[in-house]
Amino acid sequence: MRRGLALLLVLLAPAVPWSQAQIDRRAGAFRAQEEILYLWSGAHVKRLFPGFEGLAADVYWLRTVQYFGGQRLFAANKRFELLRPLVEITTTLDPRLEMAYRYGAIFLSEPSPLGAGRPREGIEVLEAGARNNPGSWRLRQDLGFFHYIYLREAERAAAILNEAADLPGAAFWLRMLAADLLAKGGARANSRRMWQQMFDQAEAGILKENARLRLQILDSRDLAERLEGLVAELERRTGRRPARLEELREAGLWGGPFVDAGGAPFGYDAREGRVFIERTSPMWRPD
Amino acid sequence: MSRLVAVAANTFRETVRERVLYNLVFFAVLMTLSGLLLGQLSIRQDEKILKDIGLAAMDLFGTMIAVFIGTGLVSKEIERRSLYPLLAKPLTRGEFFLGKFAGLAFTLLVNIAVMTAGLVLTLLATGRGLSPELVTAVYPILLGLLLVVAFAMLFSTQTSAALAAVFTVGVVVAGRFADVVRNMREVAPGVPPWLAETVYTILPNFRNFDFKDRVAYGEAVPAGVLAWVTVYGVVWIAIVLVLGLLSFRSRDFQ
Repeated sequence: MRRGLALLLVLLAPAVPWSQAQIDRRAGAFRAQEEILYLWSGAHVKRLFPGFEGLAADVYWLRTVQYFGGQRLFAANKRFELLRPLVEITTTLDPRLEMAYRYGAIFLSEPSPLGAGRPREGIEVLEAGARNNPGSWRLRQDLGFFHYIYLREAERAAAILNEAADLPGAAFWLRMLAADLLAKGGARANSRRMWQQMFDQAEAGILKENARLRLQILDSRDLAERLEGLVAELERRTGRRPARLEELREAGLWGGPFVDAGGAPFGYDAREGRVFIERTSPMWRPD
Repeated sequence: MSRLVAVAANTFRETVRERVLYNLVFFAVLMTLSGLLLGQLSIRQDEKILKDIGLAAMDLFGTMIAVFIGTGLVSKEIERRSLYPLLAKPLTRGEFFLGKFAGLAFTLLVNIAVMTAGLVLTLLATGRGLSPELVTAVYPILLGLLLVVAFAMLFSTQTSAALAAVFTVGVVVAGRFADVVRNMREVAPGVPPWLAETVYTILPNFRNFDFKDRVAYGEAVPAGVLAWVTVYGVVWIAIVLVLGLLSFRSRDFQ
């Protein structure tokens, strides 16, 4: 009897991975699952885990990362509707989890398809972070950056960066950056400095990659402007606007390739003399 | 004293025979899997999450052991009638009761010590530091668990193991909501302040033993705070044990 049951077990065991493989083959290994949030209030979730709020925050944090990653890779509309409530629940359970504020703010603010394209909400998340962590100069620094990068509010950004500079341990350059914002608000150089800081401060991972992409976009825009200047230069020399960008090379004005930081060829409007990033390029973003 | 130690040693052997320490295997698997997976999933929060999981597991498994073994320590002996021959021997009820408490306390100590070692090893294996501040969260957890055992034993002197478990869980949950009780007037303004204050005072505040969140961020609990938590815990344990002893002595086993 016992030997018969053991044999049955040996026969049945391989059927589990086999049937799973059949399901995956038919339904797809990464089946889109409907994401549901049963509890929307961080305060309510907190009351469910007395004494285990930290662990619950970790669970919600992992769910936030999984949700965002899943939506970004597999969802059709990429609206990230649950991103903010997930971040809010996580930070209500653990108000000191700075990474959750920064991550949530970045991807709520970034335009589609990279993020939710709701910078006001991203800023609200950072404001909550700064309120809950009054000693954190990094959260205040990010808040200042976001006001400048996404809302173009140079004065407000400078004021927040100065507040950050007053906090113990704050980076020495915050005050200088605040002054630069007031002096030449709107300059691309300021955005570059902010993204460079975010790149330098981020550990390897999605936030660093996002900052790297932003820097590459700025590089591409700089390069397009530089090529545009060379087009104007050639027009001044020859008295006619070049019909193709390759004419810059033939005239000895440019030796490099005519591609952006993503490797996509620049677009060129010969009538206007305008060089631009093609919409199909990963470097393209609305102005 | 030697009789008390004998009861304690026997209780420890009994818990080991009941495979209570098997939870350590589960803990080891949990820590290993967490260590392997969290680096990828958590975006640089793996150290904090590992500490959270380790400390929460100590608290949760410890509470379950304290409740379910603690409530059986006395009541099962009564239900199985194995208590009668014991009390016929030169063994006082006090020695029996306190010996049982000490035995389970030792089981919990071993359990927590092995879990702490497991957590430290996982942190070291994943390239993190030694984190000596962990001890300042582990020690209050152990104190809280001893208080749970004391309550479990108190209830088990008067009722069945199942009912005693329900009452003990009730006290633990209420004690973890002590801060809500204190601020009751904010959600229910009609509650008289003296009532909220009285309930808050007579409830054992299990929040006092919870420093997991703080230590997960690498902050040690100050010695002064730990000293007062020790006083609070020892006083509560002593009160509940005395009540349990009185209750046990008043039981008529005729």
